[in-house]
Amino acid sequence: MNLTQQLVNGIVLGHAYALIAIGWTVLLGVARLVNFGHGQMYMLGAFVTWYGISRLGLPYILAIPLAMLVGVAVGYVMQRVMLQLTLKQDLVSIMIVTLGFGYVLHGAAALFFGSTGQILSTPLSMEDVYWGDLWFTYQDIAIVIVAILFFAALKYIIDRTRLGRLARMVAEDPQLAELAGINVKRVYLGVFAFEGAAVALAAALVAPRTPILTSMGFDEVIITFVVVVLGGIGSVLGSYLAGLALGLFVAFFGAFVSPAYAMAAAFAVLIAVLVIRPGGLAVSPGGR
Amino acid sequence: MIMNTGLKTILFAAPAVLGFFVPMALGGSGAVYAACVLVAIFAVMSYGLDIIVSDLGEVSLAHTVFFAAGAYTTALLSASAGMGPILSLAGSILVALAVAALLGFVTLQLREFVFSLVTYAVAVVAATIAQNWSFLGGSDGLRGIPPFEISLLGFSARNDQELWPVAYLLLLVAIYMVSSFRRSKLGKAAMMVHLNQRLAVTSGVDPQQTRLQVFLLSAPITASAGWLYAYQRAYISADVLEAYFLILMLTAVVVMGRRLLLGPLAGVALILVQEKFFSFGGYVDKIILGSVLIVSLAFLPNGIIGLFASIRTLFPRRTMPIGKTIPERS
Amino acid sequence: MNTRPVLETTDLKVAYGGNLALDLPRIAVRERELVGVVGANGAGKSTLVNSLLGWSRGSPKVSGKVLLDGRDISALPPHERVKAGLLLIPEGKLVFTQMSTEENLASTADDAPAGQGRRRYSTDEVYALFPRLYERRHHLGSQLSGGERQMLGIARALRLGPRALLLDEPSIGLAPRLVSTVLETVRSLVDSGLTVLLVEQNVHAAIEVVDRLILLERGRILAEGTASEMRDDPRIAEAYLGAHV
Ligand SMILES: Nc1ncnc2c1ncn2[C@@H]1O[C@H](COP(=O)(O)OP(=O)(O)OP(=O)(O)O)[C@@H](O)[C@H]1O
Ligand SMILES: [Mg+2]
Repeated sequence: MNLTQQLVNGIVLGHAYALIAIGWTVLLGVARLVNFGHGQMYMLGAFVTWYGISRLGLPYILAIPLAMLVGVAVGYVMQRVMLQLTLKQDLVSIMIVTLGFGYVLHGAAALFFGSTGQILSTPLSMEDVYWGDLWFTYQDIAIVIVAILFFAALKYIIDRTRLGRLARMVAEDPQLAELAGINVKRVYLGVFAFEGAAVALAAALVAPRTPILTSMGFDEVIITFVVVVLGGIGSVLGSYLAGLALGLFVAFFGAFVSPAYAMAAAFAVLIAVLVIRPGGLAVSPGGR
Repeated sequence: MIMNTGLKTILFAAPAVLGFFVPMALGGSGAVYAACVLVAIFAVMSYGLDIIVSDLGEVSLAHTVFFAAGAYTTALLSASAGMGPILSLAGSILVALAVAALLGFVTLQLREFVFSLVTYAVAVVAATIAQNWSFLGGSDGLRGIPPFEISLLGFSARNDQELWPVAYLLLLVAIYMVSSFRRSKLGKAAMMVHLNQRLAVTSGVDPQQTRLQVFLLSAPITASAGWLYAYQRAYISADVLEAYFLILMLTAVVVMGRRLLLGPLAGVALILVQEKFFSFGGYVDKIILGSVLIVSLAFLPNGIIGLFASIRTLFPRRTMPIGKTIPERS
Repeated sequence: MNTRPVLETTDLKVAYGGNLALDLPRIAVRERELVGVVGANGAGKSTLVNSLLGWSRGSPKVSGKVLLDGRDISALPPHERVKAGLLLIPEGKLVFTQMSTEENLASTADDAPAGQGRRRYSTDEVYALFPRLYERRHHLGSQLSGGERQMLGIARALRLGPRALLLDEPSIGLAPRLVSTVLETVRSLVDSGLTVLLVEQNVHAAIEVVDRLILLERGRILAEGTASEMRDDPRIAEAYLGAHV
């Protein structure tokens, strides 16, 4: 096995993981919300992209916004349904409800798209790049670039813009935010719509790397958990770094030990971190 | 006083005895017995989760792992090692306790969604392991689980009808355990930790120890359901770790209303009757089950029972919110 | 002078569960007036100012009308009432603790003009009013002292262009010398055109700065009058002494 090739794989994988986790990072860091249906929303994003390209005949570049639009709609509806729970900050019920949404999405997607696996191929994923003895695709390059741009933009928006400030105020104290004239409900709806768009974008970019299945959401979400928790719950920069680290870990573990257990091993690392410093993982509202 | 306890015993014993005859009253066909046995098994599975969600106020998403631990242990001990149901039950409980202790230790410091997130991840990893580890049969699963036979008592159950007494007994034991847990010191301590951790600490309750103990009580209940499920199905594969069981348990726990003693049983019965007798196909059933879960939490804070306040007296309830509000941070 | 009150309530009733915590036929605050609300613990002072916003950390049942410049705002959600110019500085948590002073002061209001009778203070203006905040502009809210938080709370409200300002016990937990500083600041804001309803435990300090005083007891108005009328009113002493027995 070529070490540099694994490094490249790890970097691509890491950016993919970070991109997948970005919606959760914002949910947690900015609004103190969670979404256990995240994996199924990823699945849906992948399938809508696939449907757009292979059934509607859309070009890839238009299939992406279509998937994001569906993501926005799903995120909005979810938050609309659980708005009362959100306003009460009933996190326990929110967790279960989002899990239920994930399950519904799985059933609906299987009904609509069929339960057979599909290959989501894009113009970029079929273009190989050979560089010395390294190999990757244009899709991989796109993942890395989009992830970096997305994280940079997000960090800027959260830290420096009015929108980011409003969201951080709601995260810290929704009731005090109301007294500052902020429409708290709208922020919650917006954050969830963003989560839907972000995970759909991630799916449209990352899913072409592997075959897609309507049942894949259950496993997919675990990556996000590891990234979000290792990254220091809600921290944008932390998520990026954690995603990258996880990608490298999985690439090397997969190449040198066992690909089937790579995720399980990553999870073992997470557990170790949690046991060693559970206190260091406390949520900081409005965390950056 | 004596009269009172005597009356209470009758009040509990009468439905317990009558319940046994439910499958006969419903016609006693094979399908009815199959459904009743499954309802009992899945209800027991849900009772394990019930005390975590309703009393401790945390959402464990790793209960499918306890269920699977029971089922796989039973499969291994009975099919490979040739042990009988009593030994396999003991084995299942031991394995579940070991897993729960490990998980409990790891998650001792974790709360709320981090706790749930880790338990969910445990479930996903367990599914990966079950699918890939040849010791557990890999994706083929484990076959050749012998029928349920206790030679010592001359009892053998070769079909669902014959298995029903075992399933029903298991259900009664689970309900009895949950009900005595709620009346016990541990149950009260769990509720205090749930509602007001700080107050609990100042009242001399150790929250972490309480959590661990409730976890250790809960796991064997769910595992014993897995134990019987292995015999009922005669083979076990990684699909016992599917999200279906998780969603089923959660829905059963919340749909009727929380902290109702018979809530999980009624919930499971409702879901299985729909799936077995009014099914619209697997995918639509998924949508229905998920929607029931969503609606009961988002729109029915007191569950279905809350809608029918008049029959509330049938279910002794203590109104307690499931979710605690996040304490103010400053 | 305009005789219509800036802020007016009619038949305001608030109940927590089944308990009526507030029952007021009418309260009115006129333009450029500083009205004090005093009463013992649990008299319903916070309930009054919170219900004017329709805001609460509990979930009370509120009925009755709230008028701002004659406009009925009782159907509006809290954030809309804020936009209409009714601002509340609540009891307890006043500032965003995870944000710097500067960020706390960065406006959350949109760019629309504040409207008639309202003045939206700029950051420089509030820094001029509270030089202390300027010194602490890079500190997090959690690093500020009680008095500084109180100033920041007021400053945040001024940034939103209040038509009427509701202040809930700004002197709580402050040293006696600071109490009068804060209250005098409020007085000077009123003198420069603001309309204020001030909840205060400290009657003696309040009576020095207010124009009128309302004495609440168990959710009802026990006495009402100008500061000089109320100064020697025995009911004030009674209400407070009664509360201590
Ligand atoms: N969230 C709530 N739920 C139930 N009852 C409440 C709630 N908030 C206030 N009350 C009750 O309403 C009454 C008025 O309370 P309020 O907080 O308005 O008093 P206050 O005059 O502001 O007292 P203090 O001087 O202590 O701040 C009290 O009897 C109080 O117990
Ligand atoms: Mg008060």
